[in-house]
Amino acid sequence: MKTPYQILEVTAGADDSEIRQAYLQKVKNNPPDADQEKFREIQAANESIKDYRSRIRYELFHEQTLDFDALLDQAFGTDQPRQIDHDQFIDLLRAGVEAIELESITIEPEKT
Amino acid sequence: MNELIIGIDLGTTNSEVAVVEQGQVRVLDDGGRKILPSFVGIDDNGEILVGERARNQYLVYPERTIKSIKRLMGEDTHVDLAGQAYTPQEISAIILKRLKTIAETSLGQMVSKAVITVPAYFSDAQRQATRDAGAIAGLEVVRMINEPTAAALAYHHDQSAAQRMLVYDLGGGTFDVSVVNVEGGVVEVLSSHGDNHLGGDDFDQRIIDYLLDHLRETYGVDASKDSKAMARIVRAAENAKFQLSDQPYARIEEEYLLEHDGSPVHLSVELSRMVYEEMIEDCIDATFDALHIALKGAKMTAADIDEIILVGGSIRTPCIRERLLDEFGFEPHGELDPELCVAMGAAIQAAMIGGQQVDTVLVDVTPYTYGTSAIGMLNGEYYPFTYVPIIHKNSVLPIRKSDAFATSFDGQEVVDVTIYQGEDPDALNNVKSGEFRIEGLQDVEAGNIITLTLELDLDGILHVSAQEKETGLEKSITIKNALSRFESAALDTAKQRITSLFGQMETGPDVVEPHEEEEETSTAPEIEAAKKLIAKAESLFDQVSAEDREDMIDLIETLSNCIKANDIEGLAEPSEQLADIIYYLES
Repeated sequence: MKTPYQILEVTAGADDSEIRQAYLQKVKNNPPDADQEKFREIQAANESIKDYRSRIRYELFHEQTLDFDALLDQAFGTDQPRQIDHDQFIDLLRAGVEAIELESITIEPEKT
Repeated sequence: MNELIIGIDLGTTNSEVAVVEQGQVRVLDDGGRKILPSFVGIDDNGEILVGERARNQYLVYPERTIKSIKRLMGEDTHVDLAGQAYTPQEISAIILKRLKTIAETSLGQMVSKAVITVPAYFSDAQRQATRDAGAIAGLEVVRMINEPTAAALAYHHDQSAAQRMLVYDLGGGTFDVSVVNVEGGVVEVLSSHGDNHLGGDDFDQRIIDYLLDHLRETYGVDASKDSKAMARIVRAAENAKFQLSDQPYARIEEEYLLEHDGSPVHLSVELSRMVYEEMIEDCIDATFDALHIALKGAKMTAADIDEIILVGGSIRTPCIRERLLDEFGFEPHGELDPELCVAMGAAIQAAMIGGQQVDTVLVDVTPYTYGTSAIGMLNGEYYPFTYVPIIHKNSVLPIRKSDAFATSFDGQEVVDVTIYQGEDPDALNNVKSGEFRIEGLQDVEAGNIITLTLELDLDGILHVSAQEKETGLEKSITIKNALSRFESAALDTAKQRITSLFGQMETGPDVVEPHEEEEETSTAPEIEAAKKLIAKAESLFDQVSAEDREDMIDLIETLSNCIKANDIEGLAEPSEQLADIIYYLES
C-alpha cells in the first residue's frame, strides 16, 4: 500500500505548494478519462495531505494506533518526578487527540 | 487515430454545435447562423420545423410549437405538439438531430458521437434524460460536461500563472455558478451551485404578468386564455427585455391583440428599466445567494477571485454587471461570445476525448450531496429517516464511496434503500433520486451488515450497489428517476418515431439542406425579393450587434408571416425597413 506521499512523489516534509504542484503534474499526466482508478488514487492522496490540517490528520490516524491510557500510565504512573521526554510528549499528545472526538478537530469529513 | 466528436450546447432558448479542427475551435453554422433557437414545431404540411422557423411560427401557431423544453427534462411529463404527446427527451432529440445534421452538412461527413453540456446543477434524473435524448437522436453521448466548466475550458489559453475564475452562467432557463482554478494546464472546478429553474424565461414571465395585469386593469380583459394573443405578448415581453439591456425605456405596442366585447384591444405600454429591474430583483438576489454558496464551497471570498466569466444570454441584464462590479470590484471578461463559449468548450472536451492533442485536463465536481436514510437521531429524538450523506457536494468526479449499515430487527430478509440528493438532515426534505430493495438476506439477528456503495461517474450519473457483507449477495442499479425511466425498448421506439418525423430530411451528409427553403410555389416578384432580402439579412447576422440582430429577426419574422399568408401588400413596409438596416450595415 503506497502512502499519499509516494503516490504524489513528494517528500514527507513537502509543503502545500510542493504538494499542489506535484498533484497538478500527476493529474496532467493521468487525466480522468484515461485511467479512472489511477485518477481516483491521485485525488485521494491529494485530499489526505493537501494542507496542514489534512496532513495532521493523516499523521495521526494512519500511523500505528497508540494507546492513550497505556502511555498515560507510562508517563505519570510512577513515583518519579513528573517529567517526560520530547518523544513521549508527542506520542501522548497524538494519542490524546486520537482519543477525543474526531469531528472536534476537523472540519472536513474524513476522505477515503 | 482521431475520432470526430462534436460538442453541443443544448440550451433552453438556443443551441449550438462546435468542433475542433486543426487545433482551432469552430462553431458550425447553418446558412450563416451559428445559433439554433431551441424551438420545435410542426408546419402546415405536418413537416417538422426546428430552430428559427419554429420560433417564427410560434407567434402564429403556438399550439404546434414547443419552446424551452429543457425546463421539463427529467420530469415524467408530456408536451402536446399538434395533437401528439411527446416526452421532453423526444423534443430535445429533435433539436439534437437538427444539430447533428448541421454538423454533417458543414463537415461533409457522418457524425455519431457528441459531448453535450448540461447545467452544472442538473440532477441525476435530468442528466439521464439528456443522455436518453442523445440516444433517441442517434448520437452516442460520450460525455456530458457542465456548462460553466465548458465556458472555463473555452476561456483557458495556457495561462501559466494560477488563476481563479468565477463563472456566472445565466441562461434562458437555468442558472449555474462555478469557482474554477486554472493552473498548470489543469482546469479544476472547486465548487458549483445553481438553480435549475431560474433564467431569462423568468424575466420574460415577470414582464408577461405585468402586461396581463395592464390589460386587465385597462380593458378588463384576460388575455391569458387566448393562445395567439399570448404568443404575441410573450414575444413582446422578450423584445422589451432585449431593449432594456441597452435603453432605459421600452415601448410595447401590439395592435389588434385580441377582441373584447366586439371591439379590438390594443396593447400600448411603456416599461422603464428601473421598474423592470425591480420586477426581477428577487431572481438576481437568488443568483447572488448561489454565488456566495459557491464561494463558500471553494473556501474563498470575492477577493480571491481573479476573473469573472459571464455566460448565457441573460447576462445582458445591466444590473447583473453592476452588482458583480460592486461585489468584486472589477469588470467581467467578455472576449468570447457568451452564447457560443459553452459549445466551444464542449468541442474542446470532445477533441480531448477523441484523441486530439489538447493541452488541458479537466477536473470537475458534483454540486450535490448524495446519501441514504437510516434510523438515527434527529433533534435529539429517534427518527427513521435521518439523512446519511455518503458523497459530499464538491467532491471530485469520478468518485466512489461506501458506508456500512446494519439491519434493524432479527430475521430481516429485506432492506429497502432510498437514495436522496440534498443536504437536509431530514432525508424526507431532500430530493428522492431512486430506491431499490435487497431481498433474500440471511435469517440472522439484527445487525447484519449491508455495505452501500454510491458511485458518480464523469457524467455526474449515479450508480448504486449494495452488498450483504457476510454472503456477498449484491444488488446494483443505475439510479434513474423511477418516473421518467426510459427502458431501452422505449428508447428504440422513440428513436424510430423521431426518425420517421424527419422523413426525407435525414438521409445523410450528402443531402444539401442548408436553409430549410420555403417550399411554397408562389413566385410573386415581391415574395422573391423579400426572400432574397431575408437571406441577405441572415448572412450579416454574425457581424451585427445584438440589438440590430433583434430588429432584423423581428422584421424577417414579419416578412416570413406575410410570405406564408401570401400577403403581398404587407411585405412593403418591413421590406423597406430591413433594406434600410442592411444598407446601413454595409455602408
